[in-house]
Amino acid sequence: MIKSSIIFSFLIFSFTHSNVSSAGDVVWHGFGAQGIIQSSDSNFINDSGDVSLRLTEVGLNASYRINQKLRVSAQGIYINGGNRFDEGVRIDYLFLDYQLFNSNSWNVNAHLGRYKNYHWLYSATRDVPHTMPSIVLPQSSYFDAFRDVSLGSDGLSLTAQHLNSLGEWDVRLSHGSSRVKDKQTENLMSKLATGDLEHDFDTQFSVSFSPLNSGLSLGTSLLKTKFSYHASDNDVFNDGNARLTRIMLSLSYGAEYWDINAEAMHEKTEFTGLFPQGRDENGISQGLYIQGRYFIHPDVTLLARFDTFDANKDDRNGIQYQQNSGGTIPNYFAYRDQLTFGASWDFSTNWRVRAEYHKIDGRARLAPVFLPNTVTNDSQYWDIWALQIIYWF
Amino acid sequence: MQNIHHIGFRLALALLMLFCANITHAKQPELQVIANSSVNVTTLSESRVRWIFSMRQTTWEDGSAIKVYVLNKQDPAHQFFCKNVLSLFPYQLERTWNKLAYSGLGEKPILVNDSQEMIEMISQQPGAIGYILSNTLPPNTHVIRILKEG
Repeated sequence: MIKSSIIFSFLIFSFTHSNVSSAGDVVWHGFGAQGIIQSSDSNFINDSGDVSLRLTEVGLNASYRINQKLRVSAQGIYINGGNRFDEGVRIDYLFLDYQLFNSNSWNVNAHLGRYKNYHWLYSATRDVPHTMPSIVLPQSSYFDAFRDVSLGSDGLSLTAQHLNSLGEWDVRLSHGSSRVKDKQTENLMSKLATGDLEHDFDTQFSVSFSPLNSGLSLGTSLLKTKFSYHASDNDVFNDGNARLTRIMLSLSYGAEYWDINAEAMHEKTEFTGLFPQGRDENGISQGLYIQGRYFIHPDVTLLARFDTFDANKDDRNGIQYQQNSGGTIPNYFAYRDQLTFGASWDFSTNWRVRAEYHKIDGRARLAPVFLPNTVTNDSQYWDIWALQIIYWF
Repeated sequence: MQNIHHIGFRLALALLMLFCANITHAKQPELQVIANSSVNVTTLSESRVRWIFSMRQTTWEDGSAIKVYVLNKQDPAHQFFCKNVLSLFPYQLERTWNKLAYSGLGEKPILVNDSQEMIEMISQQPGAIGYILSNTLPPNTHVIRILKEG
């Protein structure tokens, strides 16, 4: 019902509003995208490896200004990404935006409610396809099986922007928690996890700096989060919790005909309980992607990206990981190196079509992460291709 | 001797052409950042203009709302404004606005269809700021002088 309402509202708005529109103080925007995707030798999209149409993103948002200081902002989305994440309708954000201070050098706001993760380069609009560089994002930082909790949380977020003689500064702080759906638990822990996974809290802090007239932006972010697991009867997992600490660095540089974006992550995970027979999964994972785009024509963009991830920095080739599993999980589940090539074409106003191809060595972070599907994912190398058409207003 | 005349003639012709080009250039419309006459600001640095068009400053110093008007990204005036006034490329500004509009962080500027609509909106809307490619100033508006930096 909610799904049909969102799609119906999107269609009505897209036909009646060709551009940004405002009725009184309400401003509406929306987007819709449908794609076709295949990863023939993995369970990334589906278990069969067949060509799939499960690549749909539809959204509608509204911003209502109550007065100069106070605003309500909300977005509802319907997404379907096959096995990548939970299909369905959700409230992407819904918060009260209070402007604490605004001047010609400061802009400070507080968001109360379901706020977005503004800390990483692409986290704020992750489900809005025309704002993303590719259909499938670099998995080292934008890990699909873990996406829901990194989209945003219910709580409080503070953002401050400052302009001084050195350049522009963005500082953000957020604290909240999110609800972990059953599908998310399954993606992380497998179908054998029949208990309840809870996201206790999520605290993030980030700073980014753009020196004046440089085209450059440098950023860093910190994430601290904790999950608790309450095992059910006949559960292969035990009660326990997981604490995650993530540090990220980012770089963006934009020239007239090309740009570069890169993010590096360093993530420490500490488990208490949870795993059967005292299996030790504590470790530090690291990842990095470097992405270049070339604007060959005002409407045509080419993309190339290298993305690398190691689940344990002290076991980059996964030999120890394979041994610890008693040889049941191959070493290539401990790392992932992904090369992506893509092209996009804005063939009409607010319409885009794009295609991409990924060649991948290693299978780290394929759902379910804790107990990987070694039957479908039986080789070290695999690939993904996808084609997508997008409309937005 | 004939050669010198030849060269001299060519040189004179080149100078004449340069002069004409200069006249033609002088007559070309210039990009002006303009604001509604209700706006109390007459001078802004480049970074302050960028701050306003990135939708980071939403109120003028007197507390009234800023209304930002822009042309389509393909419009030559918009491209000139981005590159020469904001020192940004149109795609970078678009990315900033998209992040605002699709993550709830803020609102995009108001898009107008052409320079005529831009003139009408800046003339009519209190707190409005925009830009035009013209040497004449629309009624009920004033020019914002841009101070270059670096």
